[in-house]
Order: sequence, then structure tokens, then C-alpha cells
Amino acid sequence: MNCYLGIDIGSISTKGVIIDDNNKIITSSYIWTEGNPVNSVKKLINILKNNLDKKYVVKGIGTTGSARKLIGLLLDANVVKNEIMAHAIGTLSIYPDVKTILEIGGQDSKIILLNNGIITDYAMNTLCAAGTGSFLSSQAKRLNINIEDFGPLALKSNNPVKIAARCTVFAESDLIHKAQVGYKKEDIVAGLCKSIVLNYLNNVGKGKKIKSPVIFQGGVSKNLGVLKYFKEILNTDVIVDSNSHLMGALGIAILSKKNSSNKIYDLNIQDVSFDTKAVDCGGCSNNCEILRIYKNNKLIDIWGNRCDKYIKN
Amino acid sequence: MGNYYIPAKYLLSHIVDADIIIPPFITAKTIELGSKYSPDFVCTPFKYTLGTMIESLEQGASILIQFGGGCRYGYYSELQEQILKELGYKFELLNLVSGKANIKRIYKMIKRIDKKFNIFKGLYHLYIAKNMVKYMDRVDDYIRKNVGFEVNKNSFDNLNKEMLDKFSKVNNPISLYILYKKYFHKFKKLKINKPKNCLKVGVIGELYTLMEPFSNYYLEKELASYNIEIKRFTNVNYLLFKNKKTIKKALRKSKKYMKYKMCADASSNIYWTKYLCNKKYDGIIHIKSSFCTPEIGSMPIIDKIANNYNVPIIYFSFDANTSEVGIKTRLEAFYDMIEMRRQ
Amino acid sequence: MKIGLPKGLYYYYCKKWVYFFNELGIEVVSFDTNKEILELGNNVATSEMCLSLKIFLGHVVYLKDKCDYILIPKLNYGIKDQMCSNFDCLYDLCNNLIDIKILTFDSKKEIKNFIKIGKELGFKRNEIKRAYLKASIKYNKELKKLKIENINKLNSSNKKILLVGHSYNIRDKYLNEIIDIIKKYNVEIIYSDLFDDDYYFYLSKDLYWKYSKKNVSSVIFCKEKVDGIVFLTTFPCGLDSLVNELVMRKIDKPYLNLIIDDLDSLAGMETRIESFVDIIEQA
Repeated sequence: MNCYLGIDIGSISTKGVIIDDNNKIITSSYIWTEGNPVNSVKKLINILKNNLDKKYVVKGIGTTGSARKLIGLLLDANVVKNEIMAHAIGTLSIYPDVKTILEIGGQDSKIILLNNGIITDYAMNTLCAAGTGSFLSSQAKRLNINIEDFGPLALKSNNPVKIAARCTVFAESDLIHKAQVGYKKEDIVAGLCKSIVLNYLNNVGKGKKIKSPVIFQGGVSKNLGVLKYFKEILNTDVIVDSNSHLMGALGIAILSKKNSSNKIYDLNIQDVSFDTKAVDCGGCSNNCEILRIYKNNKLIDIWGNRCDKYIKN
Repeated sequence: MGNYYIPAKYLLSHIVDADIIIPPFITAKTIELGSKYSPDFVCTPFKYTLGTMIESLEQGASILIQFGGGCRYGYYSELQEQILKELGYKFELLNLVSGKANIKRIYKMIKRIDKKFNIFKGLYHLYIAKNMVKYMDRVDDYIRKNVGFEVNKNSFDNLNKEMLDKFSKVNNPISLYILYKKYFHKFKKLKINKPKNCLKVGVIGELYTLMEPFSNYYLEKELASYNIEIKRFTNVNYLLFKNKKTIKKALRKSKKYMKYKMCADASSNIYWTKYLCNKKYDGIIHIKSSFCTPEIGSMPIIDKIANNYNVPIIYFSFDANTSEVGIKTRLEAFYDMIEMRRQ
Repeated sequence: MKIGLPKGLYYYYCKKWVYFFNELGIEVVSFDTNKEILELGNNVATSEMCLSLKIFLGHVVYLKDKCDYILIPKLNYGIKDQMCSNFDCLYDLCNNLIDIKILTFDSKKEIKNFIKIGKELGFKRNEIKRAYLKASIKYNKELKKLKIENINKLNSSNKKILLVGHSYNIRDKYLNEIIDIIKKYNVEIIYSDLFDDDYYFYLSKDLYWKYSKKNVSSVIFCKEKVDGIVFLTTFPCGLDSLVNELVMRKIDKPYLNLIIDDLDSLAGMETRIESFVDIIEQA
């Protein structure tokens, strides 16, 4: 039987799913990226492979997320697409009538508006980590709280502290101050959750008409505190799917199914050596950092050049 | 700024007897230098120009000339002069920013550089330089429309380089005109593979970021690689010669959204948004440097127009340390979206 | 009839209008900035706008159902006395974003503006002129008194601080929390917006912003007489980013540069002001 693999390599976690011809998830997995996408993908594929019934053959591979291009090369993927498309397609396969997708991930957050299954508008955060997952986890560390306990703790508070979260730097100094003045921990945590929601709606969601059904996904969607304030402020029900973290991987798997040919993919990549070597071009004072990508010690691609000077030499 | 150093150099080298140093192309080093010595929240062009000035001074320039104006750009030079002096450079800054750029002042300045300056000769070469800018912008306009569909890679780029090289060597308006006609013809003969209903995107925003490709991370090149026809209004020809006219037209044509003239290009951008929407473009990209106040004021209005016409629009706000990957992801998604909407 | 004057940005340069409307028997509605107004402003404004503009938009939304018209002019003093670019787009921003009835004027000649608005409200020409004259006299008298008071503070035996900032920042009730912190210490505060723009060219020849000229002039006038200078800026003010930077580079006086981004984060301010006052006291 045919199956298709989708991998979403984010800055913090790597997600993978394998689907069958009916877009049903056969198996899935979720591990930390730990700053090394190649290794984490190898690990991930090993897990997926062991869970996969022998009767399936892989007919397509898709990659998405911030390391999509590199991993796409590694796996010889037939589809390499950005996260926005992948998330939209993935979510549509489960909720065909979705109108709004809110997504807060590790490094970035986005909003996608859909109408009759077509993306009509989207926005992403302005290239700053304020109000994203990595901001939350660094603040959790500062307060000495496990990130998993963050949500339940926030729910305990009735009186969230106001925190300025427009910019990471301002928020951090504000947070330190509030902690020193002696606010209760749960109130500060709840304040952080609320400020993330406000910041998101004021930045990414500015001027966008949020219509229900609203679906909230990305790593931060697992945080019950943030979810609570989204519901409260938007004054509408916000759905979090139990597979919400897998939507990107699911979407890209579906896209790869659509694009599949008769090629059969091999998942034995443990022994494939994959290296990137960084070289400074030095052709001009731009000094582009050139990335040379080697697969099994063979040069397969060169990235990072702003002009074609380097390739010519 | 882009390729406009060619007419500027042409003009200066023909009217005064002095060594003209072309500032080196903006590179990563320029920004690093500029950001290092700039105050906290000035807009990005300040950093770029400051970096360029330092690099030019390093190469031995003794007189710097700065044109421009409209918003706070007009006030840059005074602060930059102070910063550079504190760094220990010795130089003279000729400031031709708005409000100061009257003919008498320019004349005096040129006289100071070169005592033999002849005003008629100056006007003659000014005329050539003006035409050069006009022709360059026309060619650029054509390139933008078609480069996304070129059959042979870099064919447009190479021809453009060849043309600019020839342009820099002309010395009378007629030969310039002939050159322009010849090359325009050559451009039209370049092979392209353009479908009739290709995707069309308009690019608007703040002028510096629009015109200096390095500062917008070669956004137009990236767009062209998706086979998109690009329309951009802002160019030097517009800024120097058609600015007032456009703004008047803008106020007349978009009365519904705008009553007063706004600072810099904000009013023109509002009008262009409406124009692009009316012409059924598939999408609009608005780019600016961070902290560009005039554009910040006009963006809510631009957003409203795009919403009323149901045309997708995205905003980019560039800073000196914006991540290039982030921009590419957003552009790719924008392309996917407008393609999906077509179906 | 009620006319709303949003207490932000232009308001502090158009106090004459309050007297004018009062002369004509029209009620003027305006409120001091409060938390609710700031939040309303945050909802309408985009995140990149400066705090002062957000506050202004908040005022307009707050006034929406509380008056018949709202006055939003485009102040115009000519090319050599420009205003910040935010002032140019105030009317159009409000007109597009907020559903209200707006009165507006943009002439360089002051009297023309008064006549225009007066006529739109259905008054006769001589009524308007009389009201205008009365308002002018009252306004000028008050301004003169304030100016003298301000300059007299320079003779005080206490430590003196020159507060440099735009009127709409240093006069705003909400931002005043910061000024209140300074006031707690026994120092005189001299306001930069009560000076004339006579001296700015000693420091900056190219300056073309009307109210920055006053600020720079005040620094030049006072720099020998005061003990320290406090710059108060809202983030990210385009004018101050250049002008204040230049001033700071050209003077040698202890100074403190306060940048306010969000009013919820006044946290760090107290410490900074305290240590600044300490420095001055020791000098």
C-alpha cells in the first residue's frame, strides 16, 4: 500500500507524520530539534520507520518548516513548501470549514484566513521573537517553572498582572520588576499568557477579521493559559486539535501525495552522511557565507551566494 | 542607490574638475559600520548612508555631497556630519537637501569646488544627466515587467550592464538618445516566455528601501524568480521631476480616502494602491525601513483600500539585521496565496 | 452643541480654539489621558506608531459618542516650520479608521481657519472675528504669564532641571507620572516648550521642525543656568531620534534620556531618575 511522509522541521521541535491514501495518519512522532536538524530528522525517521507496517511503501516525501530546504535535499523530497501553505492544507483536511487559523510556534507566529478552502489572507510576526514560544520558555526558565506547568499554573490566577510584551527586551525588564515587587507567581504567569494573546492580536492579527471556526495550533497551543485568554478576548470558541502540533507535517504530506509520481523512497538514511561546510566567499566586501552541501561526500548544492561570482570560480 | 550613481557621476565629472569617488556598493560591511555609529531608533537609510560615507572617506574623499529630503531624511546630514567629525574624519559636507537646494546655493557650492565652472556647460550636462535618468527608468520599467519570464538566465541583467556602461561614456544628448533606442530595441528582442494572464504584483513603499536592492534583500529578483510581473512606481525620475504632479493627481483621484497631502511619498502610495487595485493586480507588497514615520501613518489607509477592493497585501519592514530566510518564507507564502486565489 | 478636542498631539498647540469656542457659547469636550483611552488607542493604532499618536487616536475613539463634531486640523506653518509627519496624516487616519464627524482646517493664516470653522458652524463673520480677538487676547495673556513664570524659575536657589520634550508629551496627564517622580526631589523643572525659537541656529542650522526649534533654543538659553537636562521622548519618535541625539552630542551638561515605550513599564524609570538627581545634587 502507498503512504506519504511529511516532515515539519521547526526551530524547536521536529514533527513527522506518515499518511495513507485517504489522508489518515498511520503514525506520527515529535522530537526536539536541539539545533541539529539533520540528526533530529534521522532520529525521527528511524522512529517512524519502526512504527510503520511492512506492507506500506513510501511514495512521496514533503518537507516544511525553517530547515525545509536542507532536509528536502537530504531526503530528496518531491515537495518543499513554506509553513503557511502546509498548515493551511493540513488543517483543511481535518476541518474543511475553518475560517481562521491562529498559530504560535517557537520562533514565529502567524495568522491565516481562509474562505471556502482558499487562503485569502495571512500575516506573520515582524521578525522578532516577542510573544512566541521561545520567549515563553525563556521566561519560564527565569521564573524557574517547568514549561509544561505553565498552563495549569496560569489557570489558577484570577488576577493576571499587566505585562508590557510588545518587545522582548521591554517585557523582560518589566517581568523582573513585577517579580521583585512581590506579585504571586501564578498572577505573573497568567499575565504573561495574556500579554502573549494581546501582543499577537495587536501585531499579527491587526486589522484581520477573525471569524469562527477558529483553530489554534503550534507549540504554544498546548498552553492552556494562552488558550483561555484567546477564548476570553476573542469571545468565541477556539478549537485546539489533539494533533494541533502535527498540522504542518500533515499538510506537507498531503501536498507530497498530490505531487507523487511512481518513485519509491527509501527510508534508510541512517548511513547517509550529510555535511554542510561554510566558506567565506571573499569575492567582494559582502563576504557572503557560502554553504556547500555534501551528501555522501559529493557536492550537491551551493547556497548563500548573492551573485554568481563564487560559482564561476 | 542602485545604478543611479552613473548619471550622478556623469554630471559631476563633466562640470567640475575634481576626482570623483564612486561610493563602493553597499555590502554587509557598510551596514555594520553604519549601525555601529548610529543612534538607536533612526530609520535604516540613516545607517546605510552613514556607512557609505565612512567607506567613501576611507577611500580618500574630501567632499561629500548629499541630495534628498522630504521627511526626516532632510535632517540626516547635520547629525551625520557631527558623528563623522567625532570619529576624526576631516571633510566638507555639501548639503543639498530640501529647503536648501535652490539654484543660487548650488551654484555657489560648485564654484567653491571648481572656480572655472561655467553655468551654460553645467546646464547642458544637467540636461543629459536628466535624460539619462529618464531612459534608465524606462528601461528598468520594461525589465521589471519581463525579467521574470526570461528564457536565458541573466540575459536582462547582462544587457542592462552593457547599456549602462555605454551610457557612462556618452557626451551629447543625441548619441544618448540613439543608444537608448538601440538598447531598448535589443531588450525587446530578448527571448521571453510570458503567458498572457501572468501574475502581477505591485511594489510600493518607502523610496530608499525600494530603490536600493541591497536594503530590500533583492526582493524584486526573488519575485521575478516566481514568474511574476512587477510594477514599481518609485524611481528617480519620479522623485525629481514628477513628484509634485503625482501628489496633486493622487489627492484628486483618491479623495475618498485622503484629503491632505502627507509627508514624503505617503500620499502617492495611497493613490498607487488604489490604482493597482483598479487595474486588478494580484497582490501588493508594501516595503519600508523600520521606523519610517510617513509610511506608518499611511499604512492603515492603504490597508483599508486593499481590503475594500479585496486585494491581498503584505508589509515588510526592513532593518539592518532582518533575517533573510524569514523574508523568503513570507514571499513564498505570498506567491502561493495569490496563485491559489487565481484558481 | 458640543465639540470634541482630543487631548493629544495638536491640542497643546491649539489652546486658543478652546477659548474661541467658549466665546461662541459652544461646549468643548476633552478628557485627560487615562488608561482606558490608552487601551482604545492601542486597539486602533498599528504597533509601529509612536506612543503619542496612539494616545491621540485613543482620545478620538473615546470622544466618538460624546460630542457632535471633533476638531482635527492639519497644522500648517510652511516649509521652514514643519510639523512631524504624524500631524499630516491625523485627519485622514481618523477619517478612515473611525466613524466620526470631523471639522478640519489647514490654512497657514490663522484667522482664515477660525472664519472657516465658524462659518461651518453657522456663525456670522463679525461674531467670529470678535470671538477670535477675545480668545487671542486671553490666550496671549495666559501664555505670557506662563513664560515669565517658567523663566523666573531659573533664578531659584534650588537645583534646576530643564525638561526637554514636545508639549504633547510633557503636558500629558498620563505621561506626567514620570515628571511627578522628578518633582518628588526638591528641584525646579523648567519646561522647554515655553521658549521662543530664537537660538536654535547656534546649534543646528538646518533644523526645520517648528517645535524642535523651541526645544533646541531652550537648551541653548538655559545650558549655563541649569544643573541638568532631561529629554523625554516617546518611542520611536522620528524627530527626537535625530535632534536630541545631535543636542546630546554637542552639549556638555549631565543629561538623562528617557524613552517611554509603554506606560505599563515605568518600572525602570524611578531608579534612573533617582540616580540622575543624585548626580546633579553632588555637582
